[in-house]
Amino acid sequence: MSDDPDKVWPTGLTLKEAEEVHSYLIDGTRVFGAIALLAHVLVAVSTPWLG
Amino acid sequence: MASLRSTALSKIQGIAPRFLPFADVATEAVPLSRLLRLSLFQVTVGMALVLLVGTLNRVMIVELSVPASLVALMIALPLVFAPFRAFIGYKSDIHTSALGWRRVPYIWKGTMLQFGGFAIMPFALLVLSGYREAADAAPWIGQSAAALAFLLVGAGVHTVQTVGLALATDLVEVEDQPKVVGLMYVMLLLGMIASALIFGWLLQDYTPGRLIRVVQGAAVVTVALNLIALWKQEPRDRARANRVETHPEFIDAWRLFVRGRTAVGLLIVIALGTMGFGMADVLLEPYGGQVLDLSVAATTRLTAVLAGGGLVGFAIASKVLLDGHDPLDVAWWGALIGVPAFALIIGSGPMGETSMFVIGTAFAGLGAGLFGHGTLTATMRSAPRAQVGLALGAWGAVQATAAGIAVALGGILRDMILTLPNADTFRPEAAYTPVFTLELALLLAAVVAIFALRRKQARLSQTMSYTCSKDGPDPYAVPSDPTPPDRRPSGGEPHDHRRLTAL
Repeated sequence: MSDDPDKVWPTGLTLKEAEEVHSYLIDGTRVFGAIALLAHVLVAVSTPWLG
Repeated sequence: MASLRSTALSKIQGIAPRFLPFADVATEAVPLSRLLRLSLFQVTVGMALVLLVGTLNRVMIVELSVPASLVALMIALPLVFAPFRAFIGYKSDIHTSALGWRRVPYIWKGTMLQFGGFAIMPFALLVLSGYREAADAAPWIGQSAAALAFLLVGAGVHTVQTVGLALATDLVEVEDQPKVVGLMYVMLLLGMIASALIFGWLLQDYTPGRLIRVVQGAAVVTVALNLIALWKQEPRDRARANRVETHPEFIDAWRLFVRGRTAVGLLIVIALGTMGFGMADVLLEPYGGQVLDLSVAATTRLTAVLAGGGLVGFAIASKVLLDGHDPLDVAWWGALIGVPAFALIIGSGPMGETSMFVIGTAFAGLGAGLFGHGTLTATMRSAPRAQVGLALGAWGAVQATAAGIAVALGGILRDMILTLPNADTFRPEAAYTPVFTLELALLLAAVVAIFALRRKQARLSQTMSYTCSKDGPDPYAVPSDPTPPDRRPSGGEPHDHRRLTAL
């Protein structure tokens, strides 16, 4: 296992697996950001805080 | 330096597995505690359903004074996604991932959608109702935002439930499936009851700020519970990740699913029975109130009677199915019990017998529990291992669509009768009796359909040369396979595999 050159230190995941885990993080952040932006717009419509 | 590195490496290797969301592949049998944890996703599904259909329905109409027709439209929106459940299940069946996961990515994405929907929902509803400055905003902003919020939650719920049930089916042996089905139903019911009580208590003194906190709190609880449910459940499968497979298109997978088998018949049975039992869901309480003059507290207890009957039904079904009876027989008994139950409910109005009505309601719950458990177990059993997601997606699509149509149809029929000329001269039960009679007819149709399905199964097992065991209604199911699915050789499901790639 440990002599696999494809493994990323220190998680033991292969590069592809690590990239996949990372892609969940990135996607999650994007969705979270979009939702937060939309929520802010909606709040601004009902109770504007900038002028 | 090198020794430091190797020490650190061994330390990390020692602790890391506990903090990683991967299941231990070598686990012998899945213990009940792990299944209980997995069933938490059903609690979030129940919570979302209660919030949409019950709590927000009321809050929008009473506190936010949104027109009732707009509210009904918004609440119906998630139903749009129900037929896509089959496709979602199919996608999770063929999902290729470097981690060898098929179900986790979908449950996670579904959770994110559900979370996102709840996160914007309170603001969308406040804008929709014209709260403060939103009264001057264009109406389409609130309407489209609320529609988006409901669509997100709906898509999330459908995805989480479909793929979650598929994961549960993956994890357990065929003979343990009744236990899982019972557990999933009970957790859904408990989640709905608990969240109805909690939301009701939290929103007693309604303020806009409180609405925001409650709905967004539900969003956080959803993510938390689903994370706990998902942790270390699905085993990683390196072999599957490295295998290069050609997957059939959805339409081909669907044809394979329905070909020469009883899948379509089972779906028809599910549609008939679900509609038969489902129409009364929102009508029992007003029937009790208007026809039998029950108080609000009494009609609320009625819902508890219905749920209690359902719980007893799940318990009996689990017991009987674990003893090796055929799930379709259990579903048949459920539909059969529903017939006298609705006869009692219909008769109780003119006779003014409250006790008859309560007994009828309890039996309707019992029948619905037996029927739901039996048909879901039958679906799980009849699914080939490679098509578990598709089969459960088809079950969910039919079940959710039928339940939604039933509730809508029940309400529409009652309102149509009430708007007839000289409706005020009708007896109070006149608006309800036709609906209950229709339910009775649908349940009779379900009884006949199950009977026909059993005949077809018997014929199929005779004409085809498959050896079909007593409790395995489907010739493709592999009830005698002693190897758990996770530990099959890397070739994986040689039988199904060949059938899939042969297309």
